[in-house]
Amino acid sequence: MSVNEKFSAIRKGLLEFLVLQIISAEKVYVADILKQLSATEFATQEGTLYPLLSRMRREGLLDYEWKESEAGPPRKYYELTAKGREQLRETLEYWGQINGTVKKLGLK
Amino acid sequence: MNKVITINLGGNAYQLEEGGYDALRAYLETAAAKLLGNPDRDEILSDIELAIAEKFRALLASHKTVVETKEVAAVLAEMGPIEAEPGEAASSGARAAGATSGTGGQKTTGGKAAESSGSPRRLYRIQEGAMIAGVCNGIAAHMNIDPTLVRLAFVLLTIFWGTGLLVYVVMAIVVPEARSPEEKAAASGFPATAQEFIRRAKEGYYEAMKGFPDRKARREWKRQFKREMRAHADQWRFNWHSYWAEHAPIHPGMGFVLPFLSLLQGAATVVWICAIISLLATGAVFGLALPANVPAWVAALLLLIAYGILVGPLKFARRACFYSLGRPRWAWSFVFFMDGVVWFVVIVALLWLAARYSPELHDAIHSFPAFVHQAADDIRAWWHGK
Repeated sequence: MSVNEKFSAIRKGLLEFLVLQIISAEKVYVADILKQLSATEFATQEGTLYPLLSRMRREGLLDYEWKESEAGPPRKYYELTAKGREQLRETLEYWGQINGTVKKLGLK
Repeated sequence: MNKVITINLGGNAYQLEEGGYDALRAYLETAAAKLLGNPDRDEILSDIELAIAEKFRALLASHKTVVETKEVAAVLAEMGPIEAEPGEAASSGARAAGATSGTGGQKTTGGKAAESSGSPRRLYRIQEGAMIAGVCNGIAAHMNIDPTLVRLAFVLLTIFWGTGLLVYVVMAIVVPEARSPEEKAAASGFPATAQEFIRRAKEGYYEAMKGFPDRKARREWKRQFKREMRAHADQWRFNWHSYWAEHAPIHPGMGFVLPFLSLLQGAATVVWICAIISLLATGAVFGLALPANVPAWVAALLLLIAYGILVGPLKFARRACFYSLGRPRWAWSFVFFMDGVVWFVVIVALLWLAARYSPELHDAIHSFPAFVHQAADDIRAWWHGK
């Protein structure tokens, strides 16, 4: 089993926080999020992203507004709520801790 | 030469080759089945439809108006399979299998409609099986509880504060009646029926209606369609009953417990009637005097409520037994009817015997008008004293 395969579950879990981070920068719609993720290890598809975004919205982490697009149907633009920002801050802090632990353990 | 099918995605028409239409339909049906039990199901499905619409739009130009089968396949591959969120997957395999009919490709309600309603369930009045205007029936379907409970709540509200009647009248005027199959499905929010109704209504009904040029044939078809819908509802009810039969907490053979439960309920009723009689005749319940400041009519109401609480679970258990019998519907209607007749006869016989042989009851019946007057006077005094 390659490292890539071993990390598939972890990547799945981390996706939510990456989405938080992407949305924290600016208002985006799903194609933007997919594009930003596509060049990374976290490349994903609409089929995964829409259920995730719906759950995050239900948990109060993000909100959306409809915007007309010049071509095609209107789009949902997502932005973070205060709760979402707080969660992102906590996550980054926790991620820092984990990173530190990974680097420190086993060293003398 | 390929057949082309026009579909509506998010308010815009798209023309797909037949093979592409089938693939899209299969994709949406799988998505609908996978999202069963997800509270955001409708919203996610409409998001997905919009995303697909946008991808189709990008493929088309003025000289190219049809999305080809292989293009649909490419778009669907790009979308990727719908991944159910952990913990929000279908709650039971049996239900998932029953509702895989899914949303049809031809959704006439666009993404915006799904967005504005938010939840698939709406409050409507339901005329089928209604007592008056279907308000209680609609509320019961909306909250997925027994209509009798809602009616009881309204009656109690009317007795205690008179507000029940007012609320009922206002709701009868304000709440819309469920007329179309979609509205009826939305009123109860049962996914399987809703999906099936919507699918049939949108695909079969309107499609076929267009094909009938003369009115007579159309009317005949309409009649047949209604019959079919009714048959479907019956089928659904039957499925539900068999589900009960399989999953009832009681063994099927326990249907024989039924008469005992009936007897128990009968005993409770007799005790209750005796208590009321003793209250009316002597002002005390079985020799237990009421506290000085509690009027007799309050005690009678309390007795009524206590009776309801005691008999409610018994009724429920009896119903579960009925379901576990797993009989066809007419058989149960008969059983229920006979049950009612037997009860009526027992109570009338009891009253007759008591009135004939018990001077106490005789007195009680005579004092009943005075009792009602007392209650009315007390309420009036309380109202003016406020």
